Amino acid sequence: MAVTVLVPSLLAAQAGGTNRFEVEAPSVAAALRALPVSDLIFDETGTLRGLVTVYVDGKDIRTRDGVETPLEGDEEIRIVAAIAGG
Amino acid sequence: MAQTDKFSVVSAVILAGTRKGLFLLKSDDRRSWSVEDPVLEGWDVFHAMQDLRDGSLYAAANHGVYGATVHRSTDGGKTWTRSEGLGLPEDSGLTLEKTWHVEPGRDSEPGTLWLGGAPGVLFRTDDSGESWEVVQSVLEHPTRERWNPGAGGMCTHSIQLDPADPNRMYIGISAAGVFRSEDEGESWTPANKGTAADFFPEDRFPEVGQCVHKLLLHAGKEGRLWQQNHCGVYRSDDRGENWERLEDNGLPSAFGFPLALHDAKPDTAFVIPEDEARGGEVGGGNRVTTGGRLGVYRTDDGGKTWELASNGLPERAWVEVLREGMASDRDDPVGIYFGTKSGSIFVSLNEGDEWFEAARYLPAVLSVEIGELPS
Repeated sequence: MAVTVLVPSLLAAQAGGTNRFEVEAPSVAAALRALPVSDLIFDETGTLRGLVTVYVDGKDIRTRDGVETPLEGDEEIRIVAAIAGG
Repeated sequence: MAQTDKFSVVSAVILAGTRKGLFLLKSDDRRSWSVEDPVLEGWDVFHAMQDLRDGSLYAAANHGVYGATVHRSTDGGKTWTRSEGLGLPEDSGLTLEKTWHVEPGRDSEPGTLWLGGAPGVLFRTDDSGESWEVVQSVLEHPTRERWNPGAGGMCTHSIQLDPADPNRMYIGISAAGVFRSEDEGESWTPANKGTAADFFPEDRFPEVGQCVHKLLLHAGKEGRLWQQNHCGVYRSDDRGENWERLEDNGLPSAFGFPLALHDAKPDTAFVIPEDEARGGEVGGGNRVTTGGRLGVYRTDDGGKTWELASNGLPERAWVEVLREGMASDRDDPVGIYFGTKSGSIFVSLNEGDEWFEAARYLPAVLSVEIGELPS
């Protein structure tokens, strides 16, 4: 079953205007790497960029297993640019 | 309006990279400029330029969350393609922090461009930016441990190819200094003799570590280089082997960032001093135009003397013009263009004799270049 990934406007612009993706993936990392903008989400070492925040069904993945958080399918993943600087 | 052939009419375009995307300003007469809606919204466009070999536009763009990249447009800025996967090799232990400057390669290498970035890195593409290869000789330079970041990071911001020798090129890195390659980037020799690092009081003239702010080569006089440095304005006539400091001769401060040259006159240069650095004092503490005056200074004698060339510019203005913020065209007389962090673009169509404001209320201007696009 596919999960839904919602991306913010800048990433959507870089993905040809699409802000909603349906992907089959066993983990958050796999889902994010399937996106056409994965190089903006991860740096060249494969690490999630520090100011990218990811929620799975409304829960911050940092409170779970980070990008290794497993997916069962049907979840909604939302990427949010961290709020910094006021 | 310029007519290049029977069918194409072109407009001049100012590419103004800003903190909030790229703005294209178009003009048919270079006097009246229209500001188009921004493109690359959301990106800090550190530098945008037109590759005159094929007309493509390139933008070195950065984002506080999504990292550093390069965008290319082949349709005059309507649509853009991003260079994917730009980064440093894992074994370097470094990650790409920022992209700073895109420089077209030689006419004989139509797909080749060079890209400078932080931390002190250089990339090369041979496929018009689809893929970039890091230049290992810069990444692994034996003096790297003596390089330090300036206030803007350790940025490779100046890349100059010598038309007199297809293998010779130069880079400027803050704060590492100027480096020259005689083998098209395979190896690099520090070229900082005579360039002061006044912020190192125990060794003011080290081999490397100088804080070059902008480096330009004059194509019309072999061996002629200019640089605006943290510690003075300099000229070299021997490919950077030796540098002559040009001050106490009309410049109100040694500190500044932008630099522009005159295409046909190797002895002419333009700078915009900041702060109040005189007599060897290290500037940079107050990065606004010297004396609260927006002063463009021009030399026509190789830097022996400088004169204020600011007719039409505001006399009371505390502004910043960044290292990529000034450009010159190849018209006769030469046009000079610069942008401020307070969002204005100023233009002189007569080599600095008179200025006018072409646009205002833009976001902070990070870079200015001039090009031409179909009307």
